[in-house]
Amino acid sequence: MTMMTLILGGSGSGKSAYAEDYITALSGNTRKYYIATMQVSGPGGREKVKRHQKLRSGKGFVTIEQPLAIHRAADRMDTGAKTALLECISNLTANEMFSNETPKKEELVTAEIVKGITALKEELTHLVVVSNNVFEDGRVYDDRTMAYIRAMGQINERLAALADEVVEVVVGIPVILKQVEAGDCWVR
Amino acid sequence: MRLVIGGYAQGKLRYVLQKYDINKDRVWDGELPDGETDTVVVIHHLHNWIKRRIADGGCPEKEILQWIARYPDSVIISDEIGNGIVPVEAAEREYRERTGRILVELAAKAEEVERVICGIGQKIK
Repeated sequence: MTMMTLILGGSGSGKSAYAEDYITALSGNTRKYYIATMQVSGPGGREKVKRHQKLRSGKGFVTIEQPLAIHRAADRMDTGAKTALLECISNLTANEMFSNETPKKEELVTAEIVKGITALKEELTHLVVVSNNVFEDGRVYDDRTMAYIRAMGQINERLAALADEVVEVVVGIPVILKQVEAGDCWVR
Repeated sequence: MRLVIGGYAQGKLRYVLQKYDINKDRVWDGELPDGETDTVVVIHHLHNWIKRRIADGGCPEKEILQWIARYPDSVIISDEIGNGIVPVEAAEREYRERTGRILVELAAKAEEVERVICGIGQKIK
């Protein structure tokens, strides 16, 4: 049985704290991984990583750094029942898209990430994926950034379809967008 | 205390004034009144107040908690500003991050939290 939960939210929405509590509550005695995607640069980035590490400390996560090629995260996990929290799609997408001088095409980035997560999910009893709402500031950016926003939208849409549950975190409050109904069969 | 959040131009103030039948003279725009005896107070655009306090080197996290302890019947309205591309400028990032965390804190303390979208209130707590 493989379950997947997609957790969405904006900057400072409390989505990380919610996701960590969420996976901690469901993982029981199974091995619990934290798949970190951030490529750390600059003092702001280091601060953010530190804040997240502090939030996670004592919660029993084994951290795997996987800023690119997300499907490979499974190669570094032990065998047996395990759960993972993947944080977050916005970094992963930016890394995949902008690691080379010429940005990778949005369709390719979308396809690779969705495929990678689909494969990763099969290795786990429960995968929790954190993604961001980057869609509502009403600004028009340069072509690269607009392509990134479209890729994020596509990926979110496809992950939501793949997920059993989708939760948006708003000011720290979970708003359920998709839910497993009582009596639903979770096995696909 | 009640918290009302939502995007820009979603009709949050109108929604609050109608729902609670509050007069416009009870509304403070981007500021926290001091010395009001009537504790029914609407704070509009809290995010603007937070932005100003950050710019002035204040501690909006602490100040707002002290203020709501004195005005427990207040309605606080704020834009949600975190649902976009994370800005390159450090000050803009800090403003979004700190505003978000303050709203999480206020939501945890609020009796009720509503999100207003196109003038419609969605009760989320």
